[in-house]
Amino acid sequence: MTWNFDVLPDFIFNGLSLGAIYGTVALALVLIFKATTLINFATGELAMLGAFLVYVLHMEQGLWLWLSMLLAMLLSAGLGVLIERSLTRPFDPEDHLPVVLITLGLFLIINAVAGDIWNYQVRILTNPFGKFPDWVPSVGGDRFVEVLGSRLKYQSIGIWVTLAVALFVLGLILNKTRAGLAFRAVSSNVESARLVGVHTGRTLGFGWAIASAFGTLGAVLVAPQLGGVNPNMMATILIYALAGAALGGLDSLGGAVLGGILVGLIQAVLVTWGGVVVFGQLYMSILQLAAAFLIILIVLLFRPSGLFGTRRVERV
Amino acid sequence: MSAPLVVVAKDSAEHKRWQYVQWLYLAGFLLLTPLVLEPFEIGKMNRALIMSVAILAVNLVVGFNGMLALGHSAFMGIGAFVTASMVQDENWDYWQVLPVVLIVGFIMGVVIGLPALRVKGLYLALVTIAQAAVFPTLVNIDELGIAARTGGPNGKGVSEEVIAPSYLEWLPGVDGARGGSAYRYWIIVLMLGITLLVITNYLRSRPGRAVLAIRDNEAGAAVYGVNLPVVKTMNFAISASLGSLAGLMWCLDKGFVAGQDFTFLLAIDLIIGLVLGGVGTIQGSLVGGLFVVWVNDLTKRISIPLGLYTLNGDGPLAKAIFGLILILFTFFAPGGIVSLARLVSSKLIKVVPLTPAGEPIEPLSNFDPGMESTRADAAVKLAVVPPVLLAIGWLLMSVNNLIVGVLAFGLRMTILMAPVAMLVGSNELKAHAAGNRPDSVQGPANMARLLGAAGTVFVIVYAVQRFVLNY
Amino acid sequence: MVDDVFDEVGLKVEDLHASYGAVEVLRGLDFEVAAKGVSVILGANGAGKTTTLRAICNMCNTSGKVTLGDDDITRTGTAEIVRKGVAHVPQGRGTFPELSVLDNLMIGAYTRKDKEVKDDVDRWFEIFPRLSERSDQLAGSLSGGEQQMLAVARALMCRPRLLLLDEPSLGLAPLIIEDLFERFTTLNKETGLTMLVVEQNANLALDMADYGYVIESGEITLSGSAEKLKNDPAVQEAYLGA
Repeated sequence: MTWNFDVLPDFIFNGLSLGAIYGTVALALVLIFKATTLINFATGELAMLGAFLVYVLHMEQGLWLWLSMLLAMLLSAGLGVLIERSLTRPFDPEDHLPVVLITLGLFLIINAVAGDIWNYQVRILTNPFGKFPDWVPSVGGDRFVEVLGSRLKYQSIGIWVTLAVALFVLGLILNKTRAGLAFRAVSSNVESARLVGVHTGRTLGFGWAIASAFGTLGAVLVAPQLGGVNPNMMATILIYALAGAALGGLDSLGGAVLGGILVGLIQAVLVTWGGVVVFGQLYMSILQLAAAFLIILIVLLFRPSGLFGTRRVERV
Repeated sequence: MSAPLVVVAKDSAEHKRWQYVQWLYLAGFLLLTPLVLEPFEIGKMNRALIMSVAILAVNLVVGFNGMLALGHSAFMGIGAFVTASMVQDENWDYWQVLPVVLIVGFIMGVVIGLPALRVKGLYLALVTIAQAAVFPTLVNIDELGIAARTGGPNGKGVSEEVIAPSYLEWLPGVDGARGGSAYRYWIIVLMLGITLLVITNYLRSRPGRAVLAIRDNEAGAAVYGVNLPVVKTMNFAISASLGSLAGLMWCLDKGFVAGQDFTFLLAIDLIIGLVLGGVGTIQGSLVGGLFVVWVNDLTKRISIPLGLYTLNGDGPLAKAIFGLILILFTFFAPGGIVSLARLVSSKLIKVVPLTPAGEPIEPLSNFDPGMESTRADAAVKLAVVPPVLLAIGWLLMSVNNLIVGVLAFGLRMTILMAPVAMLVGSNELKAHAAGNRPDSVQGPANMARLLGAAGTVFVIVYAVQRFVLNY
Repeated sequence: MVDDVFDEVGLKVEDLHASYGAVEVLRGLDFEVAAKGVSVILGANGAGKTTTLRAICNMCNTSGKVTLGDDDITRTGTAEIVRKGVAHVPQGRGTFPELSVLDNLMIGAYTRKDKEVKDDVDRWFEIFPRLSERSDQLAGSLSGGEQQMLAVARALMCRPRLLLLDEPSLGLAPLIIEDLFERFTTLNKETGLTMLVVEQNANLALDMADYGYVIESGEITLSGSAEKLKNDPAVQEAYLGA
């Protein structure tokens, strides 16, 4: 294999599909940040739990994969509501420390519970986009199509389509439903939302629900890339998603998705492909995490509100 | 028992006496640790004290400045690796590395703190959590000679052990048979002491007050001319510097550092220690370090019989317990152990401040029939109950079971209440002599003083006996 | 201190206390707002005017008793109070800057389940054509006067029984203020909407109101019909600049 421009499209495709997953998890972060200005550090572990739900429903109970995913998303949404109601609502959202501690505590507990039930070993979860349907002209064991002389994985296309559909549904929920309108109102001005009769607590619970569902979706999509599900699967993904959210702007939903995709691209093209071209050596995850960290620092240094965030991010 | 047992005027002779008792306890604790404990237990205490320094560093940012720092494991790691590399590769002494580590930590603090602290909100938490995640991987990079310096995935050992020079062999616990852990204990105690001194003075200084003002009212502080980003960043850098110092102590104590010792889990341990001890108090950081190491150790030991132990050493049980602790403390004891201890001590003693003229602002021991006798009676209980519990504890000691063992240890520790009972007894007698107590107080007060004194003598004799036994 | 001076009671407040932390801002207020009437609360900065309105909506620590019609709403949550027909236009407008003008109106009707929401939106667009022109713009991009119109229209979208206005004149040009207050008067005359207005601009407020209260340091020091207050020498000196 030669490491040059011929393989660049491979890296771009790869980056775009990983990035789409980061974007999905970043969306889960931003949904909660937008409404409460809090970063939910348990996002990744909630998503991991969702992926294990799919594992149980699909691999152990034998339900149809897509039905399992839908059910898992609903269940994690319910869990999100439960957490919001019982653990975060009693605290003043203006005071960040207690709620951050609660989410860190959740992070540990969920990880421990999953570790106790399923051990810390990787368990294979069916890839929702393992094979093309028969009618698609493809090569390489029904897993690729040729684009720009490179192989475009069925999995990548699947991830993009899934994300697009999920975003469309999210758009419908936020823009066309009463609950969505209430959520946008609470995000914009909590006090006024209360003054038009919106139950802010329930609305935040609604936000937690969608966020948890999106996290689960992200975890299920990323599982095949990691070889399966395991309790620590989301540790680094969460960092990439945080970088994506910061890059896109912590209070911009669209920005979160684009930021996540950009982080994926930067990783694949600049770090992995570029690293090989420059150093002639494959670094993979070492420098990818470093890149995510640098992205956060650079964004804060030059554009704290992110690429698409509102300017409400205050300088002190 | 709603009224405090003892009411004393601030800075009075009695107040001083109570303070001496507190210092005595602290000194006893510090002295007995290397004498009574086994070497591997001293090692644990060392780790706890090092964690205390690191937690103090986190506290400086989270507790005293109101910002969220979740990545001090990385600063510890930087300090530890710089130390290991300089001592092993360049043959430097630890005290020569010290200023280098402090400066490197400070610079890292500025580099990471400045971008995040110019912006309002949770951005520092965001950066630091990424920093904690990225640090263990950076250690393994081959380029720039990093892996050669850090030992990469294998970690880096310091071949020369820290041992006591001959002129310091008189230190309690330090002798040939005990290896270096007791000597390292005294170095760590010394460093911790200096750190405490520096930090308390820093918090009382002008920049320190600005740091506290920002926590209490950011807008208000800005109005009074506090340069928010500069003060916050300086404070964060000092904290990072202190975190690196903890790293140096880590390397000094363990003689070995590896990337996987400084992961996000260590950062979370620091946060848990902070919350357990008490956010925003110096004592909280000290207590937090002890508890976080103790709970970690305990859960590991419980994990084995329960079959919850995993190879990497941090079984799910420790995580689950720490997670629960975080949530339960946030809900029910946001002030941590220190606030709970203060609650208890407020039942025990009340210090009445003085007016500018030097008079107590409220009467100390008015004649108030009914209440005084309960004080003397409570003192008797304080004097009688601990020896009984001590005896039970001694009996339980023979049962070879972890939970019972912990219980037995706790029961034996109650004998430390004896000096308190003695002081309360003599206080009541003095109040009686001044005509502020009914005669009925005399009996129980005398009894409390006598039994308390006996208990105190016992504690001292026991300590001395252990001391002699060890030499 | 106030007798039942009105035939029908819209809002009745008894011994209302409110505090922020350790600071007690309201120290036992008693007042009433007549149904279909306009009452005004006058007072200087920091007298507790805004807190009074917030306390009525249970948005701060309160004790005392607040009755809306026959309903005791003292312990009712803010969102439920809105459902009982109280609309509150907070100080500084309280619009949703990231929502479009149309969405701002739609969220105003959040508590309503009937089919006439769209008609109401059209009605307010007719009354405030400026809003109609900007219906797709974000509320944050509107001028101060437009935002105030939007805030009022949004508050009225829930078809309230009682409208609480917190310094509607603040930060607006005099011409716009006059126009705004004219609209309030018309609204009250045409629909019989009960209103409680908090104002520093005593002239305008007393012109519009039937009844007024003067509040100082969290206590009501003076009350009476708008005419009476206008002619009261103390009020003239303190609030009317006479």
